[in-house]
Amino acid sequence: MAQRGATGQTQTSAGRVEAEGRDERAATATSALAIEGVSKQFGSGDDAVQAVDDVSLSVDRGSVVGLLGPNGAGKTTLIKSALGIVVPDAGTVRVFGTDVAEGRRAAYTDVDAMLEGARNDYWRLTVRENLRYFATIHGVDPNSVADRHEQLLERFDLAAKADTPVRELSRGMKQKVSLASVLAGGAELVFLDEPTLGLDIESSRTLRSELRRLAREEGLTIVVSSHDMAVIEDICDRVVMMADGEVVADDTVAALLSGADRDSVRVTSAGIDDGVLARLRNRFEVGRVETVDGRRRVEVAAGGDTLYELMDTLRAAGVTVEDIRTVQPELEEVFVDRTGMESGGGRSR
Amino acid sequence: MSHDAEADNGSRATTDGSTTTPRPATYYHLARAVLYREFLIFVRYPANAIGGIVVSLFFFGLLFYGGRLLAGQALTDSLEGIIVGYFLWTLSVGAYSSVSNDIGSEVQWGTLERHITTPFGFAPVALLKGVAKVVRTFLTSAVVLAVMLLLTGTWLSIDPLAVVVIAGLAITSVLGLGFAAGGVTVLYKRIGNWLNLLQFGFIVLISAPVFELPWTRVLPLAHGSALLQRAMVDGTRLWEFGPLELGLLVAVAVGYLAGGYLVFYYATRRARRLGVLGDY
Repeated sequence: MAQRGATGQTQTSAGRVEAEGRDERAATATSALAIEGVSKQFGSGDDAVQAVDDVSLSVDRGSVVGLLGPNGAGKTTLIKSALGIVVPDAGTVRVFGTDVAEGRRAAYTDVDAMLEGARNDYWRLTVRENLRYFATIHGVDPNSVADRHEQLLERFDLAAKADTPVRELSRGMKQKVSLASVLAGGAELVFLDEPTLGLDIESSRTLRSELRRLAREEGLTIVVSSHDMAVIEDICDRVVMMADGEVVADDTVAALLSGADRDSVRVTSAGIDDGVLARLRNRFEVGRVETVDGRRRVEVAAGGDTLYELMDTLRAAGVTVEDIRTVQPELEEVFVDRTGMESGGGRSR
Repeated sequence: MSHDAEADNGSRATTDGSTTTPRPATYYHLARAVLYREFLIFVRYPANAIGGIVVSLFFFGLLFYGGRLLAGQALTDSLEGIIVGYFLWTLSVGAYSSVSNDIGSEVQWGTLERHITTPFGFAPVALLKGVAKVVRTFLTSAVVLAVMLLLTGTWLSIDPLAVVVIAGLAITSVLGLGFAAGGVTVLYKRIGNWLNLLQFGFIVLISAPVFELPWTRVLPLAHGSALLQRAMVDGTRLWEFGPLELGLLVAVAVGYLAGGYLVFYYATRRARRLGVLGDY
């Protein structure tokens, strides 16, 4: 399995030479997170499930890295392994250069996480009380960061509800409280597992915008796992795609999209009948076909000279083209292409 | 927020241009935060405490009036001992279930996982919560004791120092059992409700025949229960107990607390290895 690190170099699972080892150590020194050869298996015998299989990646300080994969791809296990909540069977995890196996407490001083399916905070306490409590357990005197807490409350539109018990807030508000409490202690590396799960469009947009701001203006390092391609595309500098416990792609969003560029066009015309469609299929690679308001909309792989051939074919068939536009590749397509699965499919791990 | 964004003096720049200087939290700050949280929940949601008091008094009423109907004078003769035993039982149940259930709740809420990745870890938080639960249980059990005395028209020699020290040490051993049960719950989740049944076993421990079977003194509650009977029924003051008796009480308390805590610690560690720490 070949994997690409943050430095853009391709790493191989076996046969690393000493020089590569030196590169790794150099990368570790500037990394917020360095995961090397981490594996985790659950169960044994016939029931054994390889949740994470020899995964290596590093996350630069101040970057936002998205973990993308179908259910059961191993995203949550990888995040929990990085956090020490799950002990990996093999491999090392370094947080800000500290091996978590050697100095767990020191390594996690500036780390916090918002995990999927967890309430993450205390619903019987008020919003402000949660911020103070979580700042304290993260080793910060809450009185010394009271200003910061006020800013967080303002940023997340929670100021008016600061003294309301969390249990009385809406789902979206609770999610914001959760994120605010993760940031309350001044964490510099945060893990967010499905942060927009269950949020309405507006709340999701607000959260995404705040995450972008935190990364851009405050240099927060974020590792975010999500099924929501829009979230990943919107906020991440880099995307790590996982399937069956392995990393199948690791690159910037732009690079992944450009790699998937197929030179396709989408032609719309009322004149594309079944005969024309059959003729197009004979000569070109035809993708999605839709009928919208009585007009056929056909996606055809055509670029450069092939595009002229396509136009000639349509003209010869007497088809008047009403609309033609280049098809922009979407992350969803790259995801399906790399993992061979739909984003929502599979079993959760 | 990032290392790079930190000013030379360690202050962190904020987006409005101001700076804040985070000071490190010490164990004092941690203790204050945990105890204050427990206090807030206690005063803000008194229904649990009131419910516990009502249920305790209901069962005592059944025991007292039912027992008088069935046993008559025999019950009245041993009423003081029954009240002391029942008081210790309510203390034990309160301490045990609040610790074991609390750990189960933390697992369910995902807050245990968050504590795992903090500089302090969950260990001191759990111990501090244990202290808070014991204090809370003393307050509610004191109400139960007062109502029992009024209801039965009984008078006990209550020396607060002796009662608090002896009962406190007696239920410290139960606190250890609560931690052990919490640890098993972390591993096996749904078993938590079954472990609550253990609290009925406390009745056996409280009434253990420590004079006939001296070895039973090393069981949780048994020796403490015997000393508490002497303190509250016979009026024995704390300093009138022998050093061996008090030493054994301390040893049993510390031993079970440490043992229970070790079970919790290793169960949590195993849960991390199995990857089931937060799965509920």
